[in-house]
Formats: sequence, structure tokens, C-alpha cells
Amino acid sequence: MSTAAVLDRAVPVTRRRRGGWSWLRGVAITVVTLVFALPVVWMFAAAFKTNVQVTDPTVGLVFPPTLENFANVLADGAILPAMGNSLLVGVVSTVLSAVLAVPAAWAVGRFGMRSTGSLVLVARIVPAISLLVPWYYLFAQAGLVGSYTVLVLSHMFVSVPLILWIMISFFEGLPVELEEAARVDGLSAFGAFLRIALPLAAPGTATAAVLAFVASWNNFMFALVLADENTETVPVALFSFISYASTDWGGLMAASALMTVPVVVVALLAQKHIVAGLTAGATKG
Amino acid sequence: MRFSRRRFGTLVAATAGTAALGSALGACSTPPVTRDTPLRMLAVNHVWTQAIRKLLPEFEERIGRKVSVSMLTADQLASSYNVKLNASATDIDVMMVRALQEQGLFAHNGWLADLTPRIQGDPDFAWDDVQPAPREASTVAGKVLSVPVVTERSVLYYRKDLGPPPSTLDELRERALQLTDRQKGFFGFVGRGQRSGAVTQWSSFLYSLGGDFVTDGRSRIGSPEAIAAYQYYGELLGKAGPPGATNMSLEQAMPIFAQAKAAFYVDADAIYSNFLDPKVSIVQDTVGFAPFPAGPAGSRPYNIPSWSVGINRFSRLQDDAWQFVRWASSRETVEKIQAAGIPGARTSVWADDKSLATFPAELAASMRVNAENGVGHDRPKVLQVGRARDIIGRPLVAGILGQDVPPVARDADAELTDFLVRDNRHQGI
Repeated sequence: MSTAAVLDRAVPVTRRRRGGWSWLRGVAITVVTLVFALPVVWMFAAAFKTNVQVTDPTVGLVFPPTLENFANVLADGAILPAMGNSLLVGVVSTVLSAVLAVPAAWAVGRFGMRSTGSLVLVARIVPAISLLVPWYYLFAQAGLVGSYTVLVLSHMFVSVPLILWIMISFFEGLPVELEEAARVDGLSAFGAFLRIALPLAAPGTATAAVLAFVASWNNFMFALVLADENTETVPVALFSFISYASTDWGGLMAASALMTVPVVVVALLAQKHIVAGLTAGATKG
Repeated sequence: MRFSRRRFGTLVAATAGTAALGSALGACSTPPVTRDTPLRMLAVNHVWTQAIRKLLPEFEERIGRKVSVSMLTADQLASSYNVKLNASATDIDVMMVRALQEQGLFAHNGWLADLTPRIQGDPDFAWDDVQPAPREASTVAGKVLSVPVVTERSVLYYRKDLGPPPSTLDELRERALQLTDRQKGFFGFVGRGQRSGAVTQWSSFLYSLGGDFVTDGRSRIGSPEAIAAYQYYGELLGKAGPPGATNMSLEQAMPIFAQAKAAFYVDADAIYSNFLDPKVSIVQDTVGFAPFPAGPAGSRPYNIPSWSVGINRFSRLQDDAWQFVRWASSRETVEKIQAAGIPGARTSVWADDKSLATFPAELAASMRVNAENGVGHDRPKVLQVGRARDIIGRPLVAGILGQDVPPVARDADAELTDFLVRDNRHQGI
């Protein structure tokens, strides 16, 4: 039997095997998708239900929809300013964190400053709640509590280590020869970073920035303690739908749906970069 | 890791820099108090808070200062207080607190200003006009630390279309079991069943069956009366209640009655408006309100100050904060707020029929009866209330699940006894 014939016979065997397992793969994907998607689907469905329908388990996904919840949320006037606050704090804290953390990640990656990187990671290891009392004390003394400054600074505490550690492995994955060639051509070390490494690291920076923005957008604890009624962010504002003796489920779900949309849009727009960024550096060496 | 001289120097410099920054921030003076500084109130998101906000302009005009109200959920409020007051926060002036839940701990930490001299020096405030049970709950070690503004009693919600309300606990159980039809998804009774969350509502059953949580500093949850109350409530909710009752708190139990899927429901009277609102209820025409059914010890529901207002000890606007507390709990304000359907703590206002005119007549009558028979606490009066509720709730869950209650209750009794020794030590008793 020729080699070609053997290969021809081998193909169906492989296919059979793959076909044998593919149904399991399909089931697994379906189950995982359902588990993750169901709460989101429920949230969006509930946003279009009346409160009576939301709490009635017999009303599933087929019901006469209402836009009343969205109208109430928008008329309430608390969510839109809170979204503006979240956007401002998220963008500023992410940009400032990137300005600090991306060059730092390059330095840590290129010059083997792993212990310095580990020191920064301590910020992610220490429970945030344990930092809130001293922070609150210091910022209150400085008269900053309730300002955007304090929210941006506190969110940077989360974002800087996140961006730094994503970018370290990214820079380590870039060929050092490119920067060495740039140095030979007369660029300084920082110039090589700025003109060579940074443009090549754009997908990684996009990934890190999106993840940092999402972390800031969803952060609840810092805003709860450090913001005031003028600077409160969306996660805190959402709780205005939960009162002592009742919960406006329809309003809460409509506001949650509104809160989710910007993050989904950012994630979709940056998806290409995120995938490239997350996989870059994985095959270094 | 090799610790070179250079690295050591960097570390020292970084530490020194952080310390210097901290000191610099710490040394910054807190902004001075001016006429533009608002009086800040941290409050729970409650109908009372929403009502008082509407009345604020008249108060602001009187003191010449704006009032800023931040509303949070009860748990977030407690967390905020814990973080901010641990740092001696000055940006909270008026605090909305639960006299029976966290006031003891706050008093222990020295976070609430002593209102006694202000109350004693102000006969027009008429402290004696506040109902005795809420007044007692506001006092810790002889000091008045808060003034009650919202009171609650447990009430029996029932379906008028299914017959008159039961007047005794035995009748309630019998009727609830009769009306239960699990095939049709209809339940004779619904109530809170969550381990900690159910304790407050169960307290009315406990008192009416002759028991209490703690007497003379000793645990009483292993007493025959408490075991009878555990067994009664367990049977009622376990056999006549919906499945998954042990996961139910207010948020889960209330909609079941509002959806016309239960015949009887025992919970706080403060939530009655949920059943009259067509947006959340389909029983607005059939819901009835009755006094808590009597047990062997009579009808003994709780009658508690669910929310009170106090003053942050670190506030720099103590006088204005007292003016707010005085105004918000004055007879005139309570009259207006109670007339809007939010029950207060002033005896004179309760005596005035006009203040109850907005409540359904049957509810107003039930509230009066429950207030007269009421016990001033719905949870044990300890420092760490959450921990105590967890212990007390264990036999409650066992009862609902149909387990043998006496051994679990005796075990919980021993645990609560140990807990009380430690808690009393913290309280300095």
C-alpha cells in the first residue's frame, strides 16, 4: 500500500474520532454559554417587564414588553449623571495609569526589575477594604473626599498593577534586537521605547486599557466611600432602586442594562486588539 | 532575592516618599466650616428619607444652611459608617441608624454624640411623648444616643376573599395547612425563612408563645417556649409555605403574597404599601390586615424603632445637627410624615385619628392594637447582633426543613450562652 493510500485511509479515522467527540464539545459549549448568558438574558428581559411580571416565575421570555422602566430610569435623572461620572473617572484613571504603567512595564521587562514589579503587585494582593480607612482619613484631611481626584487616584491603584503586569509579558515577547538596532542608529533607550517598542505594543496596551476601564467602570467600593452625591458612579447609583422595604426590579434591570451597554461596546470595538494582546507573548522564547 | 545597597536605598527612598506624602496629606487642614458648608446626612433609602427630603426647604430656610442627604441601602450604610467613622469622619453630621442593630456597637466605639443634655434641656422637645419601647431602645448605658423616627410592628397580612383573619396562632396554622395546594402552586402561609433574616419576624411568634431571646443576660432559646416557637414556625412555613423557604427573606417572600400565591403573610407593617401598589401587586383589592394572632402568652408582636437619627460625635456642626434631629422628630413633622403613611414614634400623633387617616382603616386599627401589645425588641439586645442572629436562626432553619428541633435548639442555646459571655465582656457588663 502506498503512503498516499495510508494517509487517505487515516483521514476518515481522524474525522471519526473528531466527530465522536464533537457532540460533547457542542454540549459543553452550549452548557457554558447558557450558564453565562442566562443572567444577562434575564436582566435584559426583566428590563422590559413590569414589576409584577418580574417577580412572577410563570412569566418567562414571552411577554408584552414595556419601555416604562427605561422611561422611569431616564426621568429619574440619577443614572445619566452617574454614567457621566463613571465615564470620566474610568477614562482619566485608565489614561493616567497607562502613562505610568506602560513605560514602567517596559523597564521591568527589559531590565529584569522583577522584584520592583512584584512590589507593585502588592497593591492587587492587599484587600482594598483594608486600605479604605487610611485613604479616607488622608483624603478627608486634604479635603478631597467627594472629588473626582480621589476617585481617579483610587481607581489608578487598581489599574496601574493590572496594566503593568499585562504589559510586562508583552514587552518581554518583543524581540530585543529591534530596540538594539534602533540604539545603533542613534536613538536613546527611552527613544527606542517610544518609537519602536510602544507602537509594536499597541495591541497589548489596548487590551490592558480596556480591562482597566472595565475594572474602573464596575468598581463599587471606592465610590461608595469616597464619592459624594455629585460624583457617585453607576454601580452606586444602581442601588437607588433598592429601598428598605421594596425593590424596583424593573428599574434596577433597566439601569443595569444601560450600564452594561457602554462596556459591551468598548469590548466589541477593541475585541480584535484584545485577542491579539492576550495571546501575544504566549509563544515568546 | 539579592538585596544590594542600591536596591535598599531605593526602598528607603520609596518608603520615605510615601510617608512624606502621607504626612503632607495628613497635615493639610480640613476645610473650615462656613455658612456654605452643608449639613450632611447619611441615610437609608427609605420612604421616610424621601418624605423628609420633600420637607427640607422649610428647615433649610430656618437654619440658613443647605442639607445634603445621601441615601444608601441598609448594609451599605453600615459599611460606610464603619469605614468613615473609624477614620473619625467629619463629613457626616446626621446619622440614620438602626437602634436595635448597630447602635450598641456604635455606642461602644464612641461614634454617636450623647443627646441626653440637649433633650433634658429642651422641655418643648417632649421626649416623654415618644413611645416607651422605642425610647428605651434609643438609650444605651443611661445616655440617649438617637431619636426614633420610624417604628414597625409585625402584622398579619391575609386574603379577605379567603375568609376572616385567624385570631390565634392555632387557628392560623390550621387554616394555612387547609388552604395549601402545592399542585396549584398556592400556599397557606409565606414568611421569611432565611437563617438570620427570619429571626426578627419569628420574634413575634416567640413572644406570643411565652419565650424571649435573652433574659437576665442568659440565653433562653433552649427553653420549652422557644422550642415550641421554633417547632410552630418550622411546621407553618415548612408544611404550608413555598419550596425553598429557607432561602427567603423579605425580597423573596413579599412578592409571593403580592402575586396572590399565599393566603397569610407575617411581616412588618411598614411594607404594607407594596400590596396596594398595582405596579407590584395583584392583591390590592383583596389584601386584609389583622393584629398578630394570639398564642398562649397572648398577642405579643414586636413594636420597634426600625430607624432613628443620631449625631456623629466628630461632626463640626453639632448644633445644627441637633436642630435637624429635633425638627425631624418633632410632633409637627411626625404628624405630616405619619399622615403620609409612615408610622412614627410619637404617642400624641398616634392618638390623633387624622394622622392615621391615610392608612387603610383595618391596618390602622391593627397597628394600634399591635403597638399596645408590642415588645420593644425583635432581636437580642447585644453588641454583635449579626452573630447572635446567626446562632438563633439555626434551629429555625432546622424546623422549617422538618428536622428534630430540640437537639439543635439546645446546641444553639449553648452557643448563644458562650457568645453572651464574650459579648457582655465587650460591653463591660
